[in-house]
Amino acid sequence: MASQKRDEGREAALDRVGREVLRASGASAEDAERVAASGFLYARVRARIAAERERREDADWWRAALAVLWRAVPATAAVAALAFALLLFATTGRGRMAEAAFLSPADVGVEGVIFDDGRALSNDEVLETILEGAGREGQR
Amino acid sequence: MAETTDGGLVARVLGGDEEAFRELFERHRRRVALIAGRFFRRPEQIEEVLQEAFTKAYFALPDFGARPGGDFAAWLARIAFNVCYDELRRQGRRPESSLEDLSAEESAELGRRLRDESAGGDAERAAVSRDLAEKLLRRLSPEDRLVLVMLEVEELGVAEIAGALGWSLSKVKVRAHRARAALRRALGRFL
Repeated sequence: MASQKRDEGREAALDRVGREVLRASGASAEDAERVAASGFLYARVRARIAAERERREDADWWRAALAVLWRAVPATAAVAALAFALLLFATTGRGRMAEAAFLSPADVGVEGVIFDDGRALSNDEVLETILEGAGREGQR
Repeated sequence: MAETTDGGLVARVLGGDEEAFRELFERHRRRVALIAGRFFRRPEQIEEVLQEAFTKAYFALPDFGARPGGDFAAWLARIAFNVCYDELRRQGRRPESSLEDLSAEESAELGRRLRDESAGGDAERAAVSRDLAEKLLRRLSPEDRLVLVMLEVEELGVAEIAGALGWSLSKVKVRAHRARAALRRALGRFL
């Protein structure tokens, strides 16, 4: 009982001194007011505001640039993926383009030469053509 | 001619009248300096808080202007307390002197106070007390120190502190309890 009372008294003393310590810390009111009344303080605040505004504008520029990149990168990636998919589709067997489908029987000009490059004759076709020619001459 | 209210000056600043901000500054700089003086002793520290608080307030004026009828002084005080808190945290990351740095004179002063012999006091004793208080309070975390100063020196209520710092009521109560215990521990070494 006595020790409990002693502890309470000790805690009360510590709390009281703690409050005094807190009130004694920091600057006196006169010192704080002297700082508040110092000359050119407002000019220094304005300079700081100007510097902060500049910093924010720089940050805004970077933010805008990142936003553009943020949108452009996925769009570019999507276009690249689509192009790659089309390439794969065009070069696999089922999707290979039939060049002849683009030609009509009347196309004997440049288009025919271009597409003929892509359709090399086989040895059998060459032999068949020679034999056909020889047969026609024999009939005459 | 009736004096323009703080709200009216804020509206003028938002309308592009930069001189109105000077008027707000003139009206409230003393209060902000006094808040800073609760935490810091050196004039350059007080001025740093003052400049930072008014700069933050300037860029946050659109937020304040969007809520008509707000108390500008209370709003600015909240900003000032938060700037002090940031500054305390910055200081906490720097190496500081510790309780072992107490001089013999400071130890004697603390002993006198603990024995309740400190009635009154001359300027020299006040200066010793201030140094002593500064060293003791460095033992506390920035949160503890902030809450204790707001409670014991500014005599704000728990709800006001919670509103100013954006903390919950329970967080303020728990922090205040722990802060008092921490301060008692720091002082108890000299009993």
